[in-house]
Amino acid sequence: MAKTLTKEEVNISELLDKPWITIVWDDPVNLMSYVTHVFIKLFGFSKERAHELMMQVHNEGRAVVSTGSREEMERDVQRLHEHGLWATLQRDDKI
Amino acid sequence: MSSFEKVGDGYSLDLTLDEAHILINLVEQLLELLGEGDFFHHYDSSDPLAQLLAMPSEIVTPDDPVLLRLLPNAYADPEAASDFRRYTEPQLRGAKQKNLRIVREELTILVDENHGGVIEGLNADIWLKALNDLRIALSVRLEISDDSFDKFELLPDEDPQKPVYAVYFWLGWLQENLLGLLT
Repeated sequence: MAKTLTKEEVNISELLDKPWITIVWDDPVNLMSYVTHVFIKLFGFSKERAHELMMQVHNEGRAVVSTGSREEMERDVQRLHEHGLWATLQRDDKI
Repeated sequence: MSSFEKVGDGYSLDLTLDEAHILINLVEQLLELLGEGDFFHHYDSSDPLAQLLAMPSEIVTPDDPVLLRLLPNAYADPEAASDFRRYTEPQLRGAKQKNLRIVREELTILVDENHGGVIEGLNADIWLKALNDLRIALSVRLEISDDSFDKFELLPDEDPQKPVYAVYFWLGWLQENLLGLLT
């Protein structure tokens, strides 16, 4: 059985800060070529990687495009919104 | 047919006068929706105090579905989304207005001289973003979904939505055309 975390341990885990993620959601409007272009432009992905992520958005409805601190993800979401992509950020709950 | 071309470091766009009118009307409608002439011009100021004073006390989630799509919530949690919006929405709105104003200025050349022709020295990045925002705005009004193409193709010619969809489709074609020229 896992031991109950003390208050100090909880605080430490908060300090370590679980990573945050930026998610791009599918929409029926943005052109596939445009989404790929924006991924390359904003995140410096290779053409292949950008295409792969764009297809993931298209087929699965969403894709994680960046991971990092909350501040970094807020900046990424803002830049995606400037380009008209539908993006949100959240804590990465998988970790 | 109207199309972009790569000329040196820039891009040019060949438009008929009718096309220039359609585009400039859409740009002006979207600028109006985004609140041009409202308090947002204060944010162009480089004076941080002026920016602070210009900060409207109430920035709330937009009721208009077009605005909500162009200025979306960054968080699923309403409180976090609202906090984020309060600090970032003016900048986002301002960036979109700036792109549209540049496009409007470039279109004005044709419209004022009352003829079609080629506009030169265009910035591809600004045009891609502006065209995309115009398409998003139209898509919300047209309730575009994945199967819209078939739906609108089957509409009778007299349906009032048909010409709007034709413009939406044309803007997508223009955007694809410009994307194809990027290296």
